[in-house]
Amino acid sequence: MSFLTPLFFLGVAALAAPILVHLVRRTRARRVQFPALVFVRQVPQRTIRRRTLHNILLMLLRCLAILLIVIAFTRPFFSGGSAAKDNAAAGATVILIDNSLSMRREGLFAEAQRRAESVLDDARNNEQVALMSFDKRYTVLNRFLTDKNRVRSGITSLAAGWDGTDYEQALRGAESLLTEVETTGPKRIVMISDFQVPGWTQATATFKLSNSTQLTTLDVGGNSPPPNVAITNVEARSVVFGQKYEDNLVAHISNFSDTPKDHIQVDFQINEQTVEKRDISLNSRDSRAVEFTGFNLNDGANRCTIEIHTGDFAPDNRFFFTLRRETPAKALIIEGASRGRSDSLHLQSALSADDDLPFAFTVKSAGSVDPSSVADYSLVVLNDAGPISSALADTLVRFVNAGGQMIVSTGPKTQADSFNASLQTILPATLREAVQTKAGESVAITEVKFDHPIFEVFQESGRLAGANVIGYFRSEPRANAAVLARFEDGSPALVEASTGKGRVLLFTSSLGPSWNDLPLTPLYLPFIHQMVRYAGTHEENAWYSLGETFTVGKQKEAAPPAVDTPGGTRLSETRLTPDGDLLVTAREPGFYRLRYNSTPGFAAVNIDGAEGDFTKLNFKEFAVGVTGGAGSAEGTEANRNASSEEVEGRQRVWWSLLFVALLLLLAESFLARRTKMVKMIG
Amino acid sequence: MTPATTPARFLDPELLGRIGSLELLARAVVEGFMSGLHRSPFTGFSTEFTEYRQYNAGDDLRYLDWRLLGRTDRYFIKKYRADTNTQCHLLVDTSASMNYAHGSSVTKLQYAQFLAASLAYLLNRQQDAVGLVAFAEKVHTHVPARNRTGHMRTIFGNLSLLQAGGETHLAESLHQLAEILTRRGIVVIISDFYDQPERLQESFQHLRFKGHDLVAFQVLDQNELDFDFTDPVLLLEDAETQEQMPVLPDVVMTGYRERMRKHVEEMRRCTAANNVDFELLTTKQPLDFALFSFLSRRSGK
Repeated sequence: MSFLTPLFFLGVAALAAPILVHLVRRTRARRVQFPALVFVRQVPQRTIRRRTLHNILLMLLRCLAILLIVIAFTRPFFSGGSAAKDNAAAGATVILIDNSLSMRREGLFAEAQRRAESVLDDARNNEQVALMSFDKRYTVLNRFLTDKNRVRSGITSLAAGWDGTDYEQALRGAESLLTEVETTGPKRIVMISDFQVPGWTQATATFKLSNSTQLTTLDVGGNSPPPNVAITNVEARSVVFGQKYEDNLVAHISNFSDTPKDHIQVDFQINEQTVEKRDISLNSRDSRAVEFTGFNLNDGANRCTIEIHTGDFAPDNRFFFTLRRETPAKALIIEGASRGRSDSLHLQSALSADDDLPFAFTVKSAGSVDPSSVADYSLVVLNDAGPISSALADTLVRFVNAGGQMIVSTGPKTQADSFNASLQTILPATLREAVQTKAGESVAITEVKFDHPIFEVFQESGRLAGANVIGYFRSEPRANAAVLARFEDGSPALVEASTGKGRVLLFTSSLGPSWNDLPLTPLYLPFIHQMVRYAGTHEENAWYSLGETFTVGKQKEAAPPAVDTPGGTRLSETRLTPDGDLLVTAREPGFYRLRYNSTPGFAAVNIDGAEGDFTKLNFKEFAVGVTGGAGSAEGTEANRNASSEEVEGRQRVWWSLLFVALLLLLAESFLARRTKMVKMIG
Repeated sequence: MTPATTPARFLDPELLGRIGSLELLARAVVEGFMSGLHRSPFTGFSTEFTEYRQYNAGDDLRYLDWRLLGRTDRYFIKKYRADTNTQCHLLVDTSASMNYAHGSSVTKLQYAQFLAASLAYLLNRQQDAVGLVAFAEKVHTHVPARNRTGHMRTIFGNLSLLQAGGETHLAESLHQLAEILTRRGIVVIISDFYDQPERLQESFQHLRFKGHDLVAFQVLDQNELDFDFTDPVLLLEDAETQEQMPVLPDVVMTGYRERMRKHVEEMRRCTAANNVDFELLTTKQPLDFALFSFLSRRSGK
């Protein structure tokens, strides 16, 4: 039982009044000498005992009435369901404790544990209680038990984690767990959390609790969340090939509070050395992108951090990521035999314009390529190569199947039949007839998939359609091929397909000026660079989110490396991919150290930046959202007073107490009057 | 010429209590009483004729000699001589219960003293021999009946020395007195009569058997009849036994009154059955009222 205005308990002192009256009246008995005691003695003396009892009863009635009035003024209410807990059907309760990152705020998680233990204490003796923790995922710590001690030890063993919050997921898990228990009593979910906005979004919410499930929310976050500035994201290209980082590295910093923040110092560090400092200001509820560029990188993996100095919630003030500088891989451009100027002149020029490309290119004619040397390359570009030997064709097939990257472009020298025949197994499309437009006419490249990495740079300008194509092959894509762009007649322009471990891109026009004017336009350079980069992409992130699983490759070693967590603990993960790479799930923010024999590698892991937003959830929306309006979020302690008032208002125990007090006073008045009447009649 | 049958004034016992001397008190009571009666101070209840005297205003017409008036046409009153052979014993109960007074300064014993003194004075004036017996658990004071000069001082002196104390054994005391008082006469018992009427009846019979005329004055405080206490709770203590008892007056009152009424009725019944003159007096009642009552009853005999 809780009390809305416990200060009124001071009124208990009023109990002294009837007691004093009783005692004072009791001590007024005067001693009088009386001669005719013999006649007094004949009067039944039980009357005196009855009167004594009567007076005590009167005093008790008065005391009880005063006590009830005092309790009524304290406005009591039953919280949780502790009332008559041993009499009703026991039911089942799932205690959901939020152990997300935001619960790392000072004292929050300890309070959550205390509240969970209170819920456990209030549970009926034979009530079945399960314990779950949740962040973005949920973990069942104890299935339904009546042994409170085991649940209590589960609560004690819990600690706040690093992940974000997802209330819907937690409720989904809790309700699923409730289906396991058979009880005729109430089914209840007690959710203990700081109830922050990022954990639940009304717009995307889809889950609703069933009508038979009661939700009780216990807020430990308080009504005034502390201000917080957090680094929510860093956009960076994880692998570079030049010494200088030429792209823009963007750090997103957000102020989640309602007060502006000035002079926030932003430090950018590489390998624990400060590279650059910035001083920024943020308005309330403002976000800002801070860009860094032109800094140098060492060979291999570089541990980078962006850090802000705000003195608030520390875990989201540092953002970890890795930038790896690699040596460009070897790439081979195979062109058709020609006299005079090379067909790959424009291609070569475009590729040499940027030293931050993943490949170093060598140009050879189809006839001069030693098939046995193809395996030394990581990328092969068939640039209108014309007929190729079967040996070379076989080598290229093996090359692709083994994981090699290949870019194929057609042109006047390409013979569809022999091309299809020799490279059929790896080509993403079967070439059909060549199309030559009439003089003065051309077709444009349309239906471009701008969300593809190759075309994403053209997304805003949309200028790719400005290229004039006068010759191309019609083609028929393979079943598993993806058409990334088409010509105006619908024929595929750029087709992609994976074969074996490798990948092939087929451009059905020429990469030189023979069938289009692309090389003569500003589109050519980014188009070629994006294609080459795409072909040279390693699936490697600059950072991973907490909870995400990433792959630690064997690279050239026999086995995956040992992995140390940011806390320095050696991981005991044993999950391997079919290729023998190690799968690691990120559980801790910071740098995971990948202990390769040659050079160490790093994988950066970051918390969910949105978790730093401690803004309180709208409980009404939440209650309606997760209960469908049929249930209620009782015991909610966001705006604890208001909610307590609501609960108290619903129960109105004070009415009953006042009514009983009134009845007692009436009874007291009747008894007192009866005494008076007896006296008067006497 | 019609004599008054009611006293002209009654003397408040509380007022009389301020008179230090019992003799003076008795005189004040009796003289006042007598003048109030408008009767001749020389009348009494003796029956022996002595002489005639001339009629004076205020004389009782009953004693007018009508024959002499017829023969001589003169008014003469027959004068009777007091019966000096009559003895009157005043028995005063001095048990501790007689020491009770509620709401007034006169205790029952004091009232009994006043009454005994007044009766003694009255009887002495009638030339009767007066004796005094005081008793509680047993007879402790005994002044034999005399009719000589100075005897009244002895009576008054003994009366004034009486102190309340001890338990009442009224019936035993009366039995004892029946043996002591060998010469028959009038026995006036002044007591609160807190004894069982059955036992008292036996003692009355004993005295009557010895030839005594009995007059019983039951002296009670008014509160003994009413039990009118304002206190919600009282701790009553028995004056004789010191036994204590918590009492709720408002609860006990009705039952008590009923029992007290029954006791008085029983006293009336048992005294009437033994031809004993009985009068209930409260300490609030004037003494001359008591005397008037006494004489009225005696005049009928």
